[in-house]
Amino acid sequence: MATKSLAKSVVAHVVLLAASVLFIAPFVWMVSTSLKHETQIFPKAGEPPQWIPTTERLDEQGRRFITYEGRTGVEIGNEDVKKVILVEGEELRVWPEDVEIQQQVGIHWQNYPRAFNMIDFWLNLRNTLFICASVVIATVVSCSLVAYSFSRIEWPGRDAVFVVVLATMMLPYEVTLIPLFVVYKWLGWTGSFKPLIIPAFFGTPFYIFLLRQFFMGIPKDLSAAARIDGCNELGIFAHVIIPLSKPALATTALFMFLYQWADFLNPLIYLQDDRQYTLAIALQQFQSNHEAEWGPLMAMSTVITAPVIVLFFLAQRTFIQGITMTGLKG
Amino acid sequence: MFRTYLSWLGMALACAVVLAFLWPSEAGSEAEREALRNGRKIITYWDRSQGHEYETHNELIREFNASQDRIYVRTLSVGWRIEKLLTAIASGAPPDVCSMEAHTLSQLAPQGCFVALDSWMATQPNMKPDDFFDHLYEMVNHEGRVWGIPTLTDSYCLLWNKAAFRKAGLDPERPPRTLKELEEFAAKLTVRGPGGTVEQIGFLPWLPWDFTYMWGGYFGGEWFDKERTRVTAASDPNILKSLEWQGSWVRDPNDPDAPAYALDSEVAQAFYNGFSAGGAYFSATNPFYTGKVAMIHEGEWQCTFIPKYAPSLDWGVAPIPQPEGAPPRSYSPSTVLDGIPSGSRNPDEALTFLAWFYAERSENEPSPASDYAFLIHNVPARRVEASQERFSGDPKFKVFVNELMTKPAVYFPASPVGRLFADQTQVAREYVMFGLSEPEAALKNLESKVNAEWDRVRPKTVSAAAP
Amino acid sequence: MGPRAAQDGVGGGAMTRTERRNLRNGLLFASPYIFGFLVFTLYPFAASVYYSFCNFNAIDPPVWTGLDNYKQMLGDATLRTSLFNTLYFTVGSVPLGIVFAILLAVLLNQKLRGISVYRTVFFLPTIVPLVASAVLWLWVLNPESGLLNGILRAMNVDGALAAVGLSLPNWLSDEHWAMPSLILMSFWSVGGAVVIFLAGLADVPQSLYEVADIDGAGPLRKFWNVTLPMITPTILFNLVMGLIGAFQYFTQVYVMTAGTGGPANKTLVYALYLYQMAFKYLNMGYASAMGWMLFVLVLICTLGVLYTSKRWVHYYGD
Repeated sequence: MATKSLAKSVVAHVVLLAASVLFIAPFVWMVSTSLKHETQIFPKAGEPPQWIPTTERLDEQGRRFITYEGRTGVEIGNEDVKKVILVEGEELRVWPEDVEIQQQVGIHWQNYPRAFNMIDFWLNLRNTLFICASVVIATVVSCSLVAYSFSRIEWPGRDAVFVVVLATMMLPYEVTLIPLFVVYKWLGWTGSFKPLIIPAFFGTPFYIFLLRQFFMGIPKDLSAAARIDGCNELGIFAHVIIPLSKPALATTALFMFLYQWADFLNPLIYLQDDRQYTLAIALQQFQSNHEAEWGPLMAMSTVITAPVIVLFFLAQRTFIQGITMTGLKG
Repeated sequence: MFRTYLSWLGMALACAVVLAFLWPSEAGSEAEREALRNGRKIITYWDRSQGHEYETHNELIREFNASQDRIYVRTLSVGWRIEKLLTAIASGAPPDVCSMEAHTLSQLAPQGCFVALDSWMATQPNMKPDDFFDHLYEMVNHEGRVWGIPTLTDSYCLLWNKAAFRKAGLDPERPPRTLKELEEFAAKLTVRGPGGTVEQIGFLPWLPWDFTYMWGGYFGGEWFDKERTRVTAASDPNILKSLEWQGSWVRDPNDPDAPAYALDSEVAQAFYNGFSAGGAYFSATNPFYTGKVAMIHEGEWQCTFIPKYAPSLDWGVAPIPQPEGAPPRSYSPSTVLDGIPSGSRNPDEALTFLAWFYAERSENEPSPASDYAFLIHNVPARRVEASQERFSGDPKFKVFVNELMTKPAVYFPASPVGRLFADQTQVAREYVMFGLSEPEAALKNLESKVNAEWDRVRPKTVSAAAP
Repeated sequence: MGPRAAQDGVGGGAMTRTERRNLRNGLLFASPYIFGFLVFTLYPFAASVYYSFCNFNAIDPPVWTGLDNYKQMLGDATLRTSLFNTLYFTVGSVPLGIVFAILLAVLLNQKLRGISVYRTVFFLPTIVPLVASAVLWLWVLNPESGLLNGILRAMNVDGALAAVGLSLPNWLSDEHWAMPSLILMSFWSVGGAVVIFLAGLADVPQSLYEVADIDGAGPLRKFWNVTLPMITPTILFNLVMGLIGAFQYFTQVYVMTAGTGGPANKTLVYALYLYQMAFKYLNMGYASAMGWMLFVLVLICTLGVLYTSKRWVHYYGD
């Protein structure tokens, strides 16, 4: 018995490990790129990308070590278009493309301070966190209330209205962008955080749908029992449904946080002062019309991504928490 | 029950604390608030540049703010996407000044989105029509009026890899001068590796991006009718020739006599993707820098990027060869310009700011506009600025500037369907390249599509005014 | 439930007190959404319907043209191509994506040491900014120096293909393989669906598994008879959202093909064409018409799925 379960877990580990390599690749690449000097960032023609950041090897006189025709030497200087190298005591003049500069593992930390210098990081972080926190709270509260209506109360026309809720997700945003902006302008909200936060208090169809599905999985008998105990709908909502829906609510909070954390277009359109700009917009500042600072961009991307990863890792248990069906026969 | 209420209360309290802690501070920087206190007029400038270019622009604008005490310019980097500017203009709350590309101006100016500037420009030093490169002045011109001030422009030349020339047995100091030589050199510079892979190509007319419009112009063709109101390319034999010539660079599998310089279409597409994909263009792995492409048609910004990303590359620059007998032209597809939206609340202050930006600071001290062009390695929009010493200091950059100074440019004329037209020229070339269409049919398709759209966009007032 | 009270004398449609209370409560709980709909959604939707019947360039007032935009759509070959591309993508990515997500979720639902690390890893692609992962994917799919073809070459697939006169695909550069490459890339962002399935799996009562154990069911049986039926509500969610998302698939294509939808329009999906119409060519009327046509299409598909769902979805609460 013990060996059987050991074998099973070994197999599971192997499969997971193999698949993980594929899934973790972009994150590893992002982190490793953030530690590279800009000349190493993109794969050279015909070569695989460099996963480990490297630096040049220098001798005591500060000359670079090179490899020429399989032999090690140092680079002395340049003459015209050729390189001058010293190989085994011999001074040679060779074409630059025939010389390979030796590399050793070395981390280029400078991308990080540079990245922080290029944008107003702490200000943008605070703005982003403010928007994310507000939106997450508003979404969880409003969507659970609305989802309750579509799942735990029988009322005429309910399913038709639910289809309308779903339908509002089916129209591409480009088509309503301008009239929606006009609505916000008419309300006087443009140039502030309001268009980004206040609508969240009125429910988002995606999460209404998600929570509705979960709420419908909770046995009706539990509601009935609470009603017998004298609870009204709000009471059932607060004391029965919500405590049993932690995985779904946690998922809602996480997804909404992620979406809002990375949302670039909406803040860009509605904000009019760069002191209100969010991290997602700031990330754009690493690319300009005719150049892109890839090292600092990846460094900032890593900084922006890392906390979310930690958040997910720590909050996982709420997803896998099972319901305890106390007092219920199978 | 009570416990549930307690936990609800606790959570609500925690949320309130978190939000209070994160509550954003007042908008507006310290400098701006001080400007407000001092009674300055605050005007907004939305800049399409980002990153280092935006920073450079911002420094010059800070200089303006510091040089006088009436106006304070608040800048915002909005990026090149049009959604932000469009929604602001459409809802009647635009910025006071903004920068944009010529295509965007061409789409919005006919809808009355901007303030006409020609009468004002006539009163300014160095803003007469002759001061600008001719084609730039044309690009901001609609129905006889000028709607923006060109700031920057680009110029293109042929770049070649001298080491590759050497390896192929060509003189590294002698670029191709005729189209025939271009084809011959390209054939010699194509290096095939084991297993049928292509390790290096000589040249492709559409690297690093599509130049179909330019080649049509270089071949002496006219894409539009004289009044520039319709596309007439399908009936112009020179345009047809240019498209056929471009098509000849892809090997027709049915043709036993394909030219020596022709490549297989997958190879051609793969090399094209090598430029447009991801960040390869602005990095050490740009296929020209790594020697995968020996000759390429490129812009003046390479004078800064090659030393940065490929310092060991030995390269040369020269005007690109053009067909025999065709009038010599340069290529300058677009311009970045500043304009004042119609709904601006402070147009006079905006004009004051623009006057400062485009005027020479003093005798022999260059304008901030030319400083900007120099610092971001572009060509300034005005001849007198482009002739400044610093733009000729680098001999390679000088070749680019010279192109614009000595040859009339092939440029996209101001048209509300300019973007569609540019895209369709690329589509036409791709269809010919993939063998999906004959050149003539591709051009006819382009014509009908663009003309139909042009009719849709043109204000219908013309027919109403007719007797 | 109290005794049925006397009816209002309004004929056959009268409601009981309970029903009236339920209607009131239902609307009350749903009121945040209803209010938000009236303020933020109604006008933009109505305006865009109106625009779809107009010639509208975003700034100048729209000019009514009736069905012109819709008629133009019928004759637009590029639109047909884009619709085909989107359908291709949807059919290719949604069903397989759901199956893949379920399998992954079941795998990640075990009590294995370090399972929380694995779960985080599979969720990573969803968190990593697109700008970073796009560059990496472009390398993976690079025909010459990329990882995918590198692996295939190591397995000598290229030799086998050469024997039949074929070569390794050019992936994104290849007009036949560009869309499949994007579909492949979509499987890798399956982490979101996996997390939702994990939450769904968490809701399956342990007691059901215990009963199955007593009946002597093996793992496969348990999966088929207990797990799968219990997560059908979650499957429905991911299916509907997957469809809605796939029909509007846009961002990755935009980044990977630099906004062109190439090569030769082979990856020009409907949403990308719509975006070009709206913000590149400022043909808002046509873009609105395109948007509403997509709306109708997705609505029909969703209603179809919802209708058939009555057959295969089991809500444990019932």
